Amino acid sequence: MATRTLEAGAAGHGAEPRGKRDDDGQATYLVAVAEGLWEEMERDERVFLLGEDIGVYGGAFKVTEGFIERFGPERVMDTPIVEETIVGMALGAAMEGFRPVAEFQYADFMSSGFDEITTALARYHYRSGVPAPVVLRAPSGGGVRASSFHSFNPEPWFAHSPGLKVMCPAFPTDAKGLIKSAIRDDNPCVFLEHKWIYRRVKEKVPEDPDFLIPIGKADMKRQGRDVTIVSYGMMVHHALDAAETLAQEGIDVEVIDLRSIVPLDTEAILASVAKTSRAVVLYESHRFLGVGAEVASVIAQEAFESLDAPVVRLAPPNVPVPFSPALEDAYLPQVTDIEDAVRKLSAW
Amino acid sequence: MATRVKDKKAAAEHWRVGLSDDQLKDILYKLKLCRYFDERMEALYRQGRLPGAIYSGRGQEGTHVGVVYPLHDDDSLFPTHRDLSAQLTKGLELRRVMAQFWGRIDGYTRGRDGNSHIGDWQGNRTWTVMSHLPIAYPVACGAALAYKRRGEPRVAMAICGDGATSNGRWHEALNVSAIFELPVVWVVNNNQYAYSAPNPLEFPVPTIAERAQAYRMPGVRVDGANVLDVYQAAGEAVDRARDGGGPTLIESVSLRWRGHAGHDPAKYVPKELLDDYMQNKDPVKRFEELLRSNGVVDDTTVKELDERIQREFEDGYEFAQNSPFPEPGDVTKGLWVEDGYWTSEPGRDGGTPT
Repeated sequence: MATRTLEAGAAGHGAEPRGKRDDDGQATYLVAVAEGLWEEMERDERVFLLGEDIGVYGGAFKVTEGFIERFGPERVMDTPIVEETIVGMALGAAMEGFRPVAEFQYADFMSSGFDEITTALARYHYRSGVPAPVVLRAPSGGGVRASSFHSFNPEPWFAHSPGLKVMCPAFPTDAKGLIKSAIRDDNPCVFLEHKWIYRRVKEKVPEDPDFLIPIGKADMKRQGRDVTIVSYGMMVHHALDAAETLAQEGIDVEVIDLRSIVPLDTEAILASVAKTSRAVVLYESHRFLGVGAEVASVIAQEAFESLDAPVVRLAPPNVPVPFSPALEDAYLPQVTDIEDAVRKLSAW
Repeated sequence: MATRVKDKKAAAEHWRVGLSDDQLKDILYKLKLCRYFDERMEALYRQGRLPGAIYSGRGQEGTHVGVVYPLHDDDSLFPTHRDLSAQLTKGLELRRVMAQFWGRIDGYTRGRDGNSHIGDWQGNRTWTVMSHLPIAYPVACGAALAYKRRGEPRVAMAICGDGATSNGRWHEALNVSAIFELPVVWVVNNNQYAYSAPNPLEFPVPTIAERAQAYRMPGVRVDGANVLDVYQAAGEAVDRARDGGGPTLIESVSLRWRGHAGHDPAKYVPKELLDDYMQNKDPVKRFEELLRSNGVVDDTTVKELDERIQREFEDGYEFAQNSPFPEPGDVTKGLWVEDGYWTSEPGRDGGTPT
């Protein structure tokens, strides 16, 4: 069972050392991602890292702390502030047989490399037949008072760029298993870590170096019979909190964690809705045309006959992520919002 | 490190720059092939017999053939949509290029791209061209990085036009290539116009080559009308990169004889300028005259070359017309590596136009 602690201020932005597993094998999400990267670098010498401040500094959030000492500056390559070139260079090296993993300091800055990601990297294999095994890692999401340029959820952009696999894990074990799968995958992968989860969520994470989580498979994080919540990332944790409260009221919530956005595990979503007949789609990207818009549409079209109530979407309004705690809390779906939505849906 | 900005002239006594008669004839063949292909395809486009768009590289063959000729088979080339002549020089098959123009299964992209968005990475180490410029410059850094890391004596060459040098990625890539001393050759085909924008609207410095100084790499400006000057400059740059000497910037100057694309009459190009280039700075005509005056070719050999090129074009045209369309049912295939589309023979039941 995962546990959560709160770290605010500098630690929330990654200035503190990464730390390591507890003696009882518990690892934070941050440590889990680092372990996944480390193991794949040990396993396959074609894997190398590139990005800004990932070497001596250890990365903006310290994911790669200690890597340069083990793997050297060629495999832990510090670059200038050149997002387009980081992505393009990863593609070129991949075309010549390497398996690059590029780090963005924040997912927000992926827009600075957008053309190389969505035009070059995403479309190259379909047009040419040349595999491009590149992983783009980036800390995404809000809830840490980091404002508009350090809190973004870009997953809809990349999910809408055919040719990219997109992952948004919510738990340390999933993060480790998925980053390893992404590195071994022959297609370009966008791996969005959630900075709110980094140091808050801890669990016992498998140590087997061949432990993998399959890309494109959702996971049921809580079994229930009354209402399905389909979610991913930080919102999964909010959904689980809400489910605890609702259980005391006699509402039994099932929580489906998508884990991957592309490919989308529609089978798992539909199986759950067929059982509960009610669905809340909860997501952190903007409600308008966000990831949940597609999920809601799939449910409406494919599970129409199972539904006892309309599909409800719960997601931020179509504005930039605001800074003030009062505004950010109003922007992000809160646990109480989720509880209210589920209660209304149950009353149908 | 010295930066050279000058117009090189092939010295009279060394005019053949170490090339044999056969190599010189091969260069003439490539120049003429590229010119003929460009003219014929534009005619087909104007007759409404070619789908999509067309981007003529006419007048710039000296640049295209000259820069690519020193490359080895396993060196990589990252061209743009205007650099089909460079791709043909690198070894692409005319018939498959033509199948691509007609959207057929035997094109290099199996109908998934067209126009001049051609490439053949597996066979000839050429990038499948994209329209966004200079999108391949950062990618060339990555290929070069791979060669350097593995200690392979290989070189990446990227081409773009003068227009693309205004884009941030051009500067990013040059900067990164210099920092990491990558084995890469940057070629700018300065045809003096970025669509309708002339050089003075594109950059405030007199030449593009001198910008190399800012990135601490050699910068060379050559006359694209003289294919051997281009060849020599590119050869030096390729050798330097191969020997661990890092990147070079080559600016090869010519004029875009045609519009940006087939639809563009390019009335913004002064007629006197165009006439001067077409009459006095035609790289194909100039090289043929050079070889004639030095006795490497004569009327008979030139006629044989021209007839061979016509035959190859006709053969390519027939091949393209007889190649089937991709099967519509395959539209979603080839997105993911694991679907196996690109490692198996494609379906050939898409039919041909009646």
